Amino acid sequence: MSPKDNKPSSPPPPAAPPAKPAPKNPGFVTLNIDGKEVTAKPGTNLITAAKTVGADIPYYCWHHRLSIAANCRMCLVESSTSPKLVPACQTALQEGMSIRTDTERVAEVRRSVMEFLLLNHPVDCAICDQAGECKLEDYYQRLDHKPSRLEGGKILRNKRKVLGPLVVLDQERCVQCTRCVRFMDEVAKEPQLGMFARGSEEYIDVFPGQQLTSNYSGNVVDLCPVGALLNRDFRFRARSWFLSTVASVCTGCSRGCNTYVDFMGQDVYRYRPRENDAINQSWMCDQGRLSYKPLNLARVQAPSLGRADDRREVTAAEALLRATAQLKAMAGTAELAVLVSPSCSNEDLLAGLTFAKDALGVRHLYVGGRPDGAADALLMRADKNPNRKGLAWVSAGLGLSLEPFAALLKAVQAGTVKALYVLGAEVPVDEAEAARTLAQVEFIAVQATNVTPLTETADVVLPTATHVEDEGSFVQEDGVVQRVRRAFPPRGSTRGHWNWAVDIMREFGFPLTYESARDVFRELSPKVPELASFGWDSEAPPLKTQRGLQPLATGADGRPPGYREFGAPRVRGI
Amino acid sequence: MAYYQATKDPTTDIRERTYVPELLHGLAVTIRHFMRNLFFPRDTNTDVLNRTGTSQITTVSYPEEQVTYPPGYRGLHRLVPREDGKPRCVACYLCATICPAQCIHIEAGEYETTDASADSRVIEKYPTSFVIDELRCIVCGLCVEACPKDAIRMDTGRHTPSEYTRSGFVWDIPRLLEGPPVNHPSDPWLKRPGSERPAHAHLEKHARIGEGLVPLKLPRPAHPVRTEVTSGPVPVTKFLRD
Ligand code: SF4
Ligand code: SF4
Ligand code: SF4
Ligand code: SF4
Ligand code: FES
Repeated sequence: MSPKDNKPSSPPPPAAPPAKPAPKNPGFVTLNIDGKEVTAKPGTNLITAAKTVGADIPYYCWHHRLSIAANCRMCLVESSTSPKLVPACQTALQEGMSIRTDTERVAEVRRSVMEFLLLNHPVDCAICDQAGECKLEDYYQRLDHKPSRLEGGKILRNKRKVLGPLVVLDQERCVQCTRCVRFMDEVAKEPQLGMFARGSEEYIDVFPGQQLTSNYSGNVVDLCPVGALLNRDFRFRARSWFLSTVASVCTGCSRGCNTYVDFMGQDVYRYRPRENDAINQSWMCDQGRLSYKPLNLARVQAPSLGRADDRREVTAAEALLRATAQLKAMAGTAELAVLVSPSCSNEDLLAGLTFAKDALGVRHLYVGGRPDGAADALLMRADKNPNRKGLAWVSAGLGLSLEPFAALLKAVQAGTVKALYVLGAEVPVDEAEAARTLAQVEFIAVQATNVTPLTETADVVLPTATHVEDEGSFVQEDGVVQRVRRAFPPRGSTRGHWNWAVDIMREFGFPLTYESARDVFRELSPKVPELASFGWDSEAPPLKTQRGLQPLATGADGRPPGYREFGAPRVRGI
Repeated sequence: MAYYQATKDPTTDIRERTYVPELLHGLAVTIRHFMRNLFFPRDTNTDVLNRTGTSQITTVSYPEEQVTYPPGYRGLHRLVPREDGKPRCVACYLCATICPAQCIHIEAGEYETTDASADSRVIEKYPTSFVIDELRCIVCGLCVEACPKDAIRMDTGRHTPSEYTRSGFVWDIPRLLEGPPVNHPSDPWLKRPGSERPAHAHLEKHARIGEGLVPLKLPRPAHPVRTEVTSGPVPVTKFLRD
């Protein structure tokens, strides 16, 4: 249509707002960040979108699972939609907008924001547990790198305010990002933290008369971008750069929250939650967070024979021989019972239950495991065993029926059980009482990770590796199979449950060639339809996400520095 | 060579050409020095060039006599104490991190809030165990460089004494904590009474002014203001800056 065809008589239409440009990619927003075209779903955060093209926008207060507060101003960027700098965390993506994160102006503003944040900051990194994983340190090195120009005194606040059983606060180090406050309000739904006073006097505290008693209080420590909120359990025990990290799963309850295991040498120092949208988002509960302790404490480290005063430590071969001789004599009879814990991994169950079925000839299993405990609406489940579903699957796949623990106690009291093979020494009732009852059984062989009253009454104790000392997989309550990775070699002469089971089977005369948990899964999982399709290798999280410096645990020659002539150094407080 | 030339030189006499008298002369010199060094007192000044005794031996008989090392010499470590005798060390592990010989082993602890000494409560972290394996140490001094608290120094002017066992070379806090105490104006315990919020959060003495760390930009006359005194007692001079 040529211009002269226009009808001059019609009045001009009223000035409408400029029409939105048609999306370049329908269903997506297309914008330009640092000269690179970015296509993102509507509703994507600008910080996330920028990351996809390598623009790393610094931020403190933004967290992808919390509401947006935009109060730290660290994420300011230049935008074509505004003459002033805009906070990236709060800016909605618009079609055709152009963002710059790399200009001189942005750099200068970042530097100024850092200077303000550090104005009253004590910079006592030497005693700060966050050092090494602190965003203030990182951004200072990256963006600021200038000495303080403050001439007056810094504002002094409480440096050691104990907020609750797990958390201690250093009010001086806080950068007032309110992540912790928002977490307690929005996720934990227990608003126990608040921001008090104003301006540069602002500080975080618990509400008067309260304590930070939430079961999710540990998460505020992870959320705090600086060293203001610290974990009292972990504080001062290790510097973060010494810790190595491996991806794992929390075994504290049947929820199966994804974790990072931070360890040094053969000691686990802490759990941290690992992202998993389907299970735990970014969080974990305090009960699970502290459930690493049995991995270090009161472990059964060597095989032993004999009850109570006759107990003596023996070699693995001797213990195996004894267990085999006793179990073989009873195999196939109704006097032999098998107690299995739903805390064992799938591989342990596959090998252990195959042993029970093929070698011991049992048709049903008694189910032990930790007793039920408290539960809540967010993550924690009443069932404190991480693999009850896996036990149900494996036993069904192998054609074994499950019986409650009470039935075992009844059978023992009735005297029909003469020998007991135990896979995991956890029992769902009072441990001491159960051990007294089970002591009536003539022969007990136990595979156990920790010393319990039951291991004290056992005739043969086979020390067992924990889930951080071996590869494996667990089935969480909703039926999601999850892999755990091995952090360090098993302590002492411990071996995996599967390993002991396979060893005894060999003594029984079965020609087994399994060398690893992977072999066990590959060979035995086809019998369990639910596990057969699980990609044991492909679903595994990467082995090492972070390797710590390790000058302290062992010297170059494997001997600990310091008291090497007098044995291994003490590991404090674990 | 010298022997050849001396004996062939026609200008020298028979005494030199036979060489025997010179040989005896040389022996006499040697014996004189031998007797003198053997039987006469020796000056034990470790500055051997300035020794004055009759005996002229220049040996320094370590360990009875010890040369004073120059300032800056990297000697045996010490943990620097504060005024109250506690180590300045806050167990930050930086020395243990940097140590290329991996010979420092630290375990950290926390001072109780009820600790009697307020100094301790200001910095709540301290080493419960601090061990240096001096046998493994390569005396590089990196630990001293790394320490942010001026808590470890190698200024003892001694080196590691010998021991009969390996474990004797493992120095712990009681042996390491020695020497004159050190305080810096920036030390937290000089600024606040404890780790809790002080009654006045903004005390003058918390400021860095006067530490000489920050050059002050106060307006100041180019010349000191003179007070003209015509009668009466002369006022005590007040310096504008101390
Ligand atoms: S919060 Fe970060 S910058 Fe502040 S003292 Fe701790 S480690 Fe240092
Ligand atoms: S305590 Fe930590 S998380 Fe809470 S506002 Fe301060 S800096 Fe943010
Ligand atoms: S001097 Fe060097 S080798 Fe010796 S303790 Fe210090 S850092 Fe380690
Ligand atoms: S670097 Fe200094 S303050 Fe830190 S642990 Fe070593 S001696 Fe102590
Ligand atoms: S992250 Fe955007 S203002 Fe804090």
